[in-house]
Amino acid sequence: MNEEPNNPFPDQPNEPENELTKVQEERDTYLSGWQRAKADFINYKKEEFARLGEIAKYGNEDLIRELIGVIDNFDLGLAALEKSGPIEKGIYIIRAQIEDILKKRGLEKINVKPGDPFDPNLAEAVTEVESDKPPGVIVEIIEPGYRLHGKILRPTRIKISKGQS
Amino acid sequence: MSKIIGIDLGTTNSAVAVMKGGEPEILENAEGNRTTPSIVAVSKAGERIVGTLAKRQAVTNPKGTIFSVKRLMGRKFTDPEIERDKVWLPYEIKAGPTGGVEVKMGDGWYSPEAISAEILRKLKTDAEAKLGEKVEEAVITVPAYFDDSQRQATKNAGEIAGLKVNRIINEPTAAALAYGLDKQKSEKIVVYDFGGGTFDISVLEIGDNTVEVKATGGDTHLGGDDFDKKINEYLVAEYKKQAGIDLSKDALALQRLKEGAERAKHELSVAVETEINLPYITSDASGPKHFTMKLSRAKLEELVREYIDRSVKLTEETVTAAPPKGAGFKLSEINEVILVGGQTRMPAIVEAVKKLFGKDPHQGINPDEVVAVGAAIQGGILQGDVKDILLLDVTPLTLSIETLGSVATPMIQKNTTVPTSKSQIFSTAADNQPAVEIHVLQGERPLASDNKTLARFILDGLPPSPRGLPQIEVTFDIDANGILSVKAIDKASGKSQSVRIEASTALSKDEIEKLKKEALEHATEDAEKKSLIEAKNQAESLVYLSEKSLRDAGDKVPEDVKKSITEKIEELKKVTAGNNLEAIQSASTTLSAEIQKIGQSMYNEEKPQDTSPPKEPGTPS
Repeated sequence: MNEEPNNPFPDQPNEPENELTKVQEERDTYLSGWQRAKADFINYKKEEFARLGEIAKYGNEDLIRELIGVIDNFDLGLAALEKSGPIEKGIYIIRAQIEDILKKRGLEKINVKPGDPFDPNLAEAVTEVESDKPPGVIVEIIEPGYRLHGKILRPTRIKISKGQS
Repeated sequence: MSKIIGIDLGTTNSAVAVMKGGEPEILENAEGNRTTPSIVAVSKAGERIVGTLAKRQAVTNPKGTIFSVKRLMGRKFTDPEIERDKVWLPYEIKAGPTGGVEVKMGDGWYSPEAISAEILRKLKTDAEAKLGEKVEEAVITVPAYFDDSQRQATKNAGEIAGLKVNRIINEPTAAALAYGLDKQKSEKIVVYDFGGGTFDISVLEIGDNTVEVKATGGDTHLGGDDFDKKINEYLVAEYKKQAGIDLSKDALALQRLKEGAERAKHELSVAVETEINLPYITSDASGPKHFTMKLSRAKLEELVREYIDRSVKLTEETVTAAPPKGAGFKLSEINEVILVGGQTRMPAIVEAVKKLFGKDPHQGINPDEVVAVGAAIQGGILQGDVKDILLLDVTPLTLSIETLGSVATPMIQKNTTVPTSKSQIFSTAADNQPAVEIHVLQGERPLASDNKTLARFILDGLPPSPRGLPQIEVTFDIDANGILSVKAIDKASGKSQSVRIEASTALSKDEIEKLKKEALEHATEDAEKKSLIEAKNQAESLVYLSEKSLRDAGDKVPEDVKKSITEKIEELKKVTAGNNLEAIQSASTTLSAEIQKIGQSMYNEEKPQDTSPPKEPGTPS
């Protein structure tokens, strides 16, 4: 790389040397451009790979979201039936089965309960009601919330206390 | 140098994008969402929260939750717009010391800039987390109608958030940038932006490296939220009619109904009918009640027709009215129309805009993200990312090779970034074929004769062999200068031929557009022709296969079977000479069933001695 240029005309060194400098500069530009392009590509592949992982993790997010709605309705149905008497145990097993399938795919119920302070990281306040609990505390869980691989898929929907009037 | 991010600081939602490897990319926030609600709150516990979290507590904290602060940015307290907004905003506002607006959040008074800065700070922090590096500079977008003080206020908000605001650009300009329309020489562009809470229409004129806003219009209080409200009202009213129960007092039922309605609205952008199912929505003395209702796209459109019509009327006014009220252009003069904002996903809106201008609007980029994407591109330009020394071109048209039946088989698809190279193995169409002709084509049509011939050459000296056996590898290579080399090599003999085509991409822009247009126009007719050719090709292969099988089987097949097959072969040959697709297909099916008798007869005979299976012909050239 560091070889002296072979100049056949020692008394006229300028022209070829200028030319050489120019060509060397061009070479450096091209080489660095090429290296960058190659690096960009390798980085892109890495990012794509990571993104594919994300897609695999969250790819069925929409489906799971809709299935959560089914579980909600299932629970509403169970609650209504329970009022009019005991329910065949098998129905509960079916419900548990659905939940189990979703659990295996990374779904996890958010653990908040009445009496906890309201944390918007986990819950969404749907309304505020009078209660004997201190203001800002969860009075009632309306809909359970869920996480998918740690990301909040749906916050727990809650009623919070505004204290006593 | 840290990256310059592009920020769409919206009235209802904001988004952030950045240039990565030469392409704009939306950055997700800490909650994993691509847009962030433009909401700031001081929680009852005194904590400052922004975005989705602020939204989750909004209902129970109306006085401490600030949304739509963009409406207040850089305005005087005496501004008629403020007078109007004061009435419905649930939080308190008052005149500031310099005549501007101040907002009460929790126990303190804040300027709109300070509130906006909270949003920007979250966007910045989340972008840093996502990128894994510090972010110090940004391009922020504002509506085209923002005046100097509103722009300055936005810039100040950025500075407060610790961002050097490199440039404030107009939202419609950003949208045009996202679609690459800034490179046009001279164009008139309309940007139709239907957001959650505002409807903006902007008319732009693009000249030599300049974008001029010719007119702006719209309605600052018309948006997708109005659509949702309308649907909700309708559902509540319908349910009252059907079940005699008023859901409007039941916060829980309303919440579920709102979600159901929103989902239905989204589904109706692709489906023509959807069903809203909300079991156990409420209960009365007779037991639990369910909400099930079908909603058709037609009904939805009927419900919101007045809003769409209004937006179209406003659009027409803004384009055609004489300056300063409008741009003073004819509708037919508009070269491009861009759709921005989530509500423009609604097919009825796309149709209405299309009808007004008589042309298809641009809508390929996610309408919720297009402005942030444009801002990121502007950031890239400022950073020098976009003007890369190594500008890579794309092939404007598909490059193909002619195969059996005059079909153009694509080798390099249009819009492939060059330099690139593709190889594929072809074969012969006849037994003992001595040579193949390589016919190089350019264009989008499926038939060779409808495309432009770039070159033809012959590869000869193929050793005698049955059809489908020779392997001829054809390689298309385009270098960075757009020069196409085509090489064909016979794998068996090693013989090769090649050609270099200098002018493969040297079509003028008009020519390229013409070819693309033709391809679209002839798509149906071309597809029919292509299926006919494919059917003929299959028929010919079948005839060949049948004749060969008959010969191979020899005496092992009874005469009557032979005769019947020969008849079916003749029949297929006859219809293949014609152009009746159905006849060819049905004759092929008949023959294909008939030749199975060869196998059957042979198995019924004694175990055969030497019968090699018939060769499957490849894709012959």
